[in-house]
Amino acid sequence: MARAAKYVGHRTRSKEGPRHVSGQGNYTDDFILPGMLHAVIIRSPYAHARIKNVDPRAALETPGVIAVIIPEELKQKTKPFKPGRYAAGLRKPIPEYASAIDKVRYVGEPIGALAARDRGTAEDALELVSVDYEPLPPVTDTKDAVGPDSPLLFEDLGSNLAWKGSLTYGDIDGAFREADTVVRDKFKIHRYSSTPLETLACIASFDSASRKLTVWINAQVPEVIYDALRETLGLEDVRIIIPDIGGGFGQKIHLIRKYAVLTSLLALKTQRPVKWVEDRSEHMMAAGHSCAQEFDVEAAVKKDGTVLGLKFKEIDDVGGSVSTLTIHFTNKLNNLSNTYKVKNISLEGCSVVTNKCPVIPNRGIGKPAMCFIWERIMDRISRELELSPIEVRSINLIQPKEMPYTTPSGNIYDSGDYPSLLKRVIEKIGYDKLREEQRSEREKGRFLGIGVVIGVEPGGRNAARDMAIFPEMKESPGAGGVNGATIKIEKNGTLSLLLGSPNCGQSHETTTGQVAADILGIGPEHISVSTPFDSDLSPWGTAAANSGNNFHLYDIGAVHGAATKLKTKILTLAGHILQTDPAKLSIENATVQALGSPKKKITFAELGRVAYGNQSLMPEGFEAGLQATHYYTFPHAEPNMVPGQDRRIRAQFTFSAASHAAVVEVDPQTGKVEVLRYLIISDNGTIINPDVVNGQIYGSAAHGISVALGEGFVYNSEGQLLTVTLTDYGKSSTVETPKIEIEHRPSVSPFTTLGQKAAGEGAAIPSPAAIASAVEDALQPFGVEVRDLPLTPEAVWHLLQEAKRNDS
Amino acid sequence: MKQVVRVKINGSLYEEDVEPRILLSHFLRETIGLTGTHVGCVIGECGACTVILDGRLVKSCLLLAVQIDGKEILTVEGLAKNGTLHPIQEAFVKAYGIQCGYCTPGMVLATHYLLTKNPDPSEAEVRKGLAGNLCMCTGYMQIVEAVKTAAESLKNG
Repeated sequence: MARAAKYVGHRTRSKEGPRHVSGQGNYTDDFILPGMLHAVIIRSPYAHARIKNVDPRAALETPGVIAVIIPEELKQKTKPFKPGRYAAGLRKPIPEYASAIDKVRYVGEPIGALAARDRGTAEDALELVSVDYEPLPPVTDTKDAVGPDSPLLFEDLGSNLAWKGSLTYGDIDGAFREADTVVRDKFKIHRYSSTPLETLACIASFDSASRKLTVWINAQVPEVIYDALRETLGLEDVRIIIPDIGGGFGQKIHLIRKYAVLTSLLALKTQRPVKWVEDRSEHMMAAGHSCAQEFDVEAAVKKDGTVLGLKFKEIDDVGGSVSTLTIHFTNKLNNLSNTYKVKNISLEGCSVVTNKCPVIPNRGIGKPAMCFIWERIMDRISRELELSPIEVRSINLIQPKEMPYTTPSGNIYDSGDYPSLLKRVIEKIGYDKLREEQRSEREKGRFLGIGVVIGVEPGGRNAARDMAIFPEMKESPGAGGVNGATIKIEKNGTLSLLLGSPNCGQSHETTTGQVAADILGIGPEHISVSTPFDSDLSPWGTAAANSGNNFHLYDIGAVHGAATKLKTKILTLAGHILQTDPAKLSIENATVQALGSPKKKITFAELGRVAYGNQSLMPEGFEAGLQATHYYTFPHAEPNMVPGQDRRIRAQFTFSAASHAAVVEVDPQTGKVEVLRYLIISDNGTIINPDVVNGQIYGSAAHGISVALGEGFVYNSEGQLLTVTLTDYGKSSTVETPKIEIEHRPSVSPFTTLGQKAAGEGAAIPSPAAIASAVEDALQPFGVEVRDLPLTPEAVWHLLQEAKRNDS
Repeated sequence: MKQVVRVKINGSLYEEDVEPRILLSHFLRETIGLTGTHVGCVIGECGACTVILDGRLVKSCLLLAVQIDGKEILTVEGLAKNGTLHPIQEAFVKAYGIQCGYCTPGMVLATHYLLTKNPDPSEAEVRKGLAGNLCMCTGYMQIVEAVKTAAESLKNG
């Protein structure tokens, strides 16, 4: 930008805030359409059972009940979902419909839907739908699931081991041959979720005259819903409207499509609008969980701590669907190297289907686990080689002078000074002093622990990533990404901005307003950013996704591009009217001003009147109107945008990073962990809005800490979910959530429009590892080793008992 | 059998026929049309539906609409006066104590109640005062900041 930014990088008033504090946010459940019916979902109470018969007659005889959809009808009237990229790697097609057809594979799996005039009537009638099940033995453990006698979830697959694959980068055998020592351990990440406060919701309305289906839905990725409805219902004309979303974090990307189809099918059948709103227990049971992942990790290490190679085997418990079979494995490619210059890495994965809720994308998908692998093994190396954990990390860090740095798997790290992030976190937390305090407090029987970790936060999705793992993919998933934005000056001078993607609370309106304001010389308060997302109007591409940390790259790029195009148009028109060379014009406060001629000026309102209504004042060849649309693609996406024989791929395009330090106190009597301090030194590139970026960091860190200390889904051996409420699930409140401190040390990205990098899921990636490290450090005198989360008081107490037993 | 409920909401009087099983949260949203009261769990865990009933902080999903006959309710829509945000609302906007906005109405009302009872709360008191309201987005830092700012502004206002 030619002039210093007035708005980018500065505090500015939130655009979304005023409507939310006044209760004027517009969420899907807030909309009421004339004649609207209310849907409820018929769900399985069994983890594994054959559906022998569904009899809805008694329900249909209830006054006010209008329609029921049962599996048989669903199979007749819809097609299965097309296996998307999330199902890449499936060795045999397994048709998946919006509801179960002949078998249920998890508690809460939909087997149909019912619509009535009001929700209460619908819920009452649900009790009257008679389903005849033949219960089957549930499969709840990945080891048992692959045993020879295990019942099969999908008979057609012939095994519950639904996928197996591997990748190697560099000379992994050479690395292990040259190693002075091999450090090994096993780690686990459990099932959790981000439990958005607003559950899934959808309204479908079908205009039978024009055969147009309009769906209001709180979905994060419009493409998923758009494709699902067109493919399963065979409709051409589908419109997706996405109003305010009450939190997403990945939970509203994938399984929500089932409910869009069921609700729409009811709308088609009844010829009336239908609303469906999920309740909390349905959300916990069936909206999707992150994947429980088990790892067998080995690091080839030199005596000084240099890591020559890392190899790990992964077992993913993907639950009762094959539609997201490999996402937690494929996402390891995004941060496979973390911040380390290790040249040789190999990974082997397998996905096991079990009778649990299907896994879905959730804040970072496999990335928190990848960081957990690295940071836990770094702590193991430190212990085995008797080196400080800081030293072991430092010696392996990619150096700033190596940026942009290409990792062995082909990621190109755009910028970052990892040594300074690590150094600063040590300095600011007062590491040496804390070590002294730890020693002296231990003597008094207080157990303090310090965990220091580092991690990257990849941003901006590359659609071609999965081709690295599945070169046999028949249909190209695309490559790079595309998203658009439209900006216009209306005839009265109002500036309005239409974004190409929905948002679920990341202040997209505020941030994009700041970017456009700087380019167009108008205060962000005068820019009207349109909501909701509307597939008929919004300029969207496949990167129109509240996912993959896409916003900073694709949306900011698109808004910047559109505003720059509009500026050229404004100056061309103004130059013609003012009879001045456009290069000698500037824009300030919605007025175009000729440099050096104070009287030669024209306002946006005056320009608007000309552009939309006075042909005589337009220059020759000028396209009337003052609007511009820009579709952004990342201009530096090569090399490694599409994988070659070497399977090297840029899984994502920008790399934020952060060091985290956690100070905890553990009560060895009760196992309770208290976080005393939590510090993050963060590099998110150019910060567009400091309050927004801080909010993203605070929120993602708090989630990761809560995941490490208590959150999690628990199933019993029958496959019944025991954690169907937020309390049972263990969500942290204001009282358990620690204070989080942030310091920014941005390294500007040389590749992006304003030097920006991602901020969204970032702090959720290293935080589970930071807590694990700190708790282990606190309990070092007892010989406790942390391999598994969550570290609930009960879990920590068991670790202590186990350590005592091993000791004696 | 529907029952008549007379209730004052944000200063206006309503008289409505309601089914006895309708929850207060749904009555406010669907019968009265005040959709700022959100619903996140319907069992009193999340606090999104928090309102103030005769000066007490309540979760409207834990009450039936018929229980509020003759009472007075303040919802988030009743805070701003003549188009000007209440100082608590203003503090939430300024401090970015908002992300997706779903918990916000409940948080704002819980803050209102807290500051009525304790105009100068410590950080621990703020956190305790908001412990019945979950937020999945913010990590609570900017919300706590907003409450402190609101307390200051109410003291000086």
